[in-house]
Amino acid sequence: MKKLHIVGIIVIALAIGVIFVSLKNTSTYADFTEAISNPDKEYHVVGKLDKDQPLIYDPKVNADQFMFTLIDNKGVHKQVVLHKSKPQDFEKSEQIVLIGKIEGNEFHANDILMKCPSKYNDNKAPIN
Amino acid sequence: MKDIQYISERLWAGNLGNAFVVLSFVGALLSFFAYYLSSKNISFIKLARIAFNVHGFAVIGIIGTMFFMLLNHYFEYQYVWQHSNKSMDMKYILSCFWEGQEGSFLLWTFWNIFLGMILKRQLKNGEWEIPVMTVFSLVQVFLASMLLGVYLFDYKIGSNPFLLMKEHSEFMDLPFVQMGKYESTARGLNPLLMNYWMTIHPPTLFLGFASTLIPFAFAIGALWNRKYNEWQKIALPWTYFCILILGVGILMGGAWAYEALSFGGFWAWDPVENSSLVPWLVVVAAGHTMIINKNKGGSLFTTHFLAIGGFLLVLYSTFLTRSGVLGNASVHAFTDLGMTGQLVLYVITFVFITVALLINESLFKVSYIVVSILLLFFGMLYGYKRILLMVWLVGSGIVTFISYYKYFPKEKDEEELYSREFWMFLGSLLFLLSGLIITYFTSIPVINKLFNTEFAPPKVPVYNNWMMPFAILIMLLIGATQFLKYKKTDPKKFFKRISYSFILALLFGLACSIPLYFFSTSETKSIGTWDLIGYSTLLVSGLFAVFSNIDYFLLILKGKISKSGAAIAHIGFAMVLIGALISTSKKVTLAKNISDKKLTALGKDFDDRESILLTQGDTLPMGPYLVSYKGKRRIGIDVYFDVEYFKLNKENKPEFDFALEPHIQDNPRMGQAAEPDTKHYLDKDIYTHIAAADLNVDTSAKKKNGFGEAKNYVGHVGDTIFSSNALVIIDSLRSNLSKEQYEKNDSALEVTAVLRCVNTKAENFMAYPKFIIQHNVVIPKEDVQKELGLKFVFWKINPDDGTIEITMSEKLANNKDFIVMKAFVFPYINVLWLGCLIMAFGTGIAIVERIRKFKVQS
Repeated sequence: MKKLHIVGIIVIALAIGVIFVSLKNTSTYADFTEAISNPDKEYHVVGKLDKDQPLIYDPKVNADQFMFTLIDNKGVHKQVVLHKSKPQDFEKSEQIVLIGKIEGNEFHANDILMKCPSKYNDNKAPIN
Repeated sequence: MKDIQYISERLWAGNLGNAFVVLSFVGALLSFFAYYLSSKNISFIKLARIAFNVHGFAVIGIIGTMFFMLLNHYFEYQYVWQHSNKSMDMKYILSCFWEGQEGSFLLWTFWNIFLGMILKRQLKNGEWEIPVMTVFSLVQVFLASMLLGVYLFDYKIGSNPFLLMKEHSEFMDLPFVQMGKYESTARGLNPLLMNYWMTIHPPTLFLGFASTLIPFAFAIGALWNRKYNEWQKIALPWTYFCILILGVGILMGGAWAYEALSFGGFWAWDPVENSSLVPWLVVVAAGHTMIINKNKGGSLFTTHFLAIGGFLLVLYSTFLTRSGVLGNASVHAFTDLGMTGQLVLYVITFVFITVALLINESLFKVSYIVVSILLLFFGMLYGYKRILLMVWLVGSGIVTFISYYKYFPKEKDEEELYSREFWMFLGSLLFLLSGLIITYFTSIPVINKLFNTEFAPPKVPVYNNWMMPFAILIMLLIGATQFLKYKKTDPKKFFKRISYSFILALLFGLACSIPLYFFSTSETKSIGTWDLIGYSTLLVSGLFAVFSNIDYFLLILKGKISKSGAAIAHIGFAMVLIGALISTSKKVTLAKNISDKKLTALGKDFDDRESILLTQGDTLPMGPYLVSYKGKRRIGIDVYFDVEYFKLNKENKPEFDFALEPHIQDNPRMGQAAEPDTKHYLDKDIYTHIAAADLNVDTSAKKKNGFGEAKNYVGHVGDTIFSSNALVIIDSLRSNLSKEQYEKNDSALEVTAVLRCVNTKAENFMAYPKFIIQHNVVIPKEDVQKELGLKFVFWKINPDDGTIEITMSEKLANNKDFIVMKAFVFPYINVLWLGCLIMAFGTGIAIVERIRKFKVQS
């Protein structure tokens, strides 16, 4: 069984390695202030749509670019450039998670997750 | 209010249902105790069997009552109200039943009973009936309690499916509930789930989940009785049954996502997907160590560890997906029903039972039990739950390790290097390790809760990169291990035998992968060299697995199907991975190849474009096709978009190829959901879905000649205005008079804005709106650019900053309908689906063969 013991030790070492390597590289949840202070790192920023600011989506110009303003959980407003088409029901979203980094004055996101009040979540749907 | 019965209410149904709920719980509890006691006194066994039957009867009763209520529209009940309505097609009644949490728990319970009844017969009066059925009925106690919906102190236990609307805390205060208007408000089945997948995927998957209980129950029984070997023969076909059904269930989910949901693929490493994949990986590992045990003996601890781990991971994934802990990490986590504590407690209980049974010394065992219970009470009463949980988990891990060293029988002799068991064991460990890594990544939201960290869940490439080396190693093992014999193999013969397949795979794999990955166009440019090497290696090793198993099947097994379950299943598995590899790594984004209108003014140009804008009537090149958006139509809540695909024929003229109609469901409850449409070819799929579109299907003719709303623009000379069909550049301003002249005489000042309009074909059109001022009165003179349908009014000059203001309005007919579409080609995805079928077929043969052998033996 000695060979298997060696294998077992390698397995455990690999598993610990995975944890350390992945924690080092993994993106973290943050607010805009943190993302601004570290512009090269990718962050997940959680926030809400600023409904007073315009949503700019002109598929005729670029179908994969959508701009809006997000208020993060600390209340900081920031212009966001999402490099994707405008998600369906975007206006109805309750909470938004953006994945991306700061570039200049804007937060450039390459992915978005939205929590809609009703999407996949029946009990919280508005009832008329 | 509870005591009032309204005339239209049919309270008997709820009362009946609740009676069944209580009966099912009591039956399971009684059955558990009676089975447990019969291990000491055999006379209890009759009671135990009866109690289990009563429990089964009661669960059927619950299900029957719920179906009766659903079929007869008892909308005063919350579950019926929430999951069905009168306008719904009744063929989706099954989907209604398991759409909600309670229904899906019932489905799980039902399958457990189904399997339990078969096992009870199979094991009757044998030595395994009591331990296995004790575990079964204990699990049933927990599942039955999920439906109780009672409060114990402040803790809510279970969620009751027979709650009236007026009793439901969320709805009781709402006006329509107080007025009893149930029927008209009934929510109904989510339209997105109204398809046949929703009818077949959940029951298959839950049967898979339920069947992980069988190896678990046997393994726990084995720890209890200290008989580690005997159960494995009986449990082996069941374990492969679990592998088959759970595997098929998972792949059905993938097929559903691919066919009907706009995830853009068949696998997204979503937590819900992962948490069904991981138990499968672990049960596959368990199945293989059980085969080692059967053929050669040994690997006892690992087999028990894996057989128990598979079920514990199912419990853990139930906790992950139903407690709301995933939060925003998943699109399809269920609603939090306030059962988080309960679910955690269940996972903990079964871990606790396992560890306690591992210990073989009564003093050690008692102290472990006492310490665990003390920690639990301390946690309940004084808090510090997270720290205590971690202390307990680490402690239990250490206890497991000690028990392994102290009590488990171990092999004396070293494994041979050239033996099947050694490499098969290694393969099982790789499966386990890959499962653990996926679990770790999926659990990041849980880790954040435990340690107050803020790590974000990893994205798809992270999973892909981590799993790639595992896939390669496993493929190599699958290819090579078939030709190793148990105990000892002659290395020379072995290497000679596998070298044929390996060389063939190397030649074939490189012949494919060099043009696929190293000499190809834009698609592979963005992929790093290491990834390309990884892909090629996986392709070669996957082909090696296929070839060597075909070789084994033809040469060693002489093509005898009944003996070849394993070889066939392995070929299928390798094909699944090859199909997944090619279709994902060579996924072509069709929309990318269009020459964009380079409108750099609005920001940078991005390379990661994946959408295409199609205006109604226009034809645009897209990859090798020309696409044209014809129009849209509404059927019910679905809006279909007709898109036609043309190909250039030999005379370079477009020729109609095929039409697709992706649609968007304008779902009243869920909002808009895009559903793809796919053109299937033997060697590729063309997959499209709509990313953005106007769902308003307005057939009434617009005033073709009218102009739309005027928009005001402020700018300098040289600035650009965007219209829907052109760029409008303020070229220059011309004045008929100089400023001095204007100030001197009384004549009118006339300033002309020279507007150069550039359309998408880079043609220039001019417009000359005029700003006229006389006696301090402004009289703007509009100009209409007829070709483009643009009207300009130059109405203001701001002398302070030198800007001018122009309004522009577009002809209504200009605003043609458009869609934003995504289109991908998935090459060779049929290899994946064919692989699924072959794998299922092979596993099925292996199960039949095992059962046959087992019957012959006994």
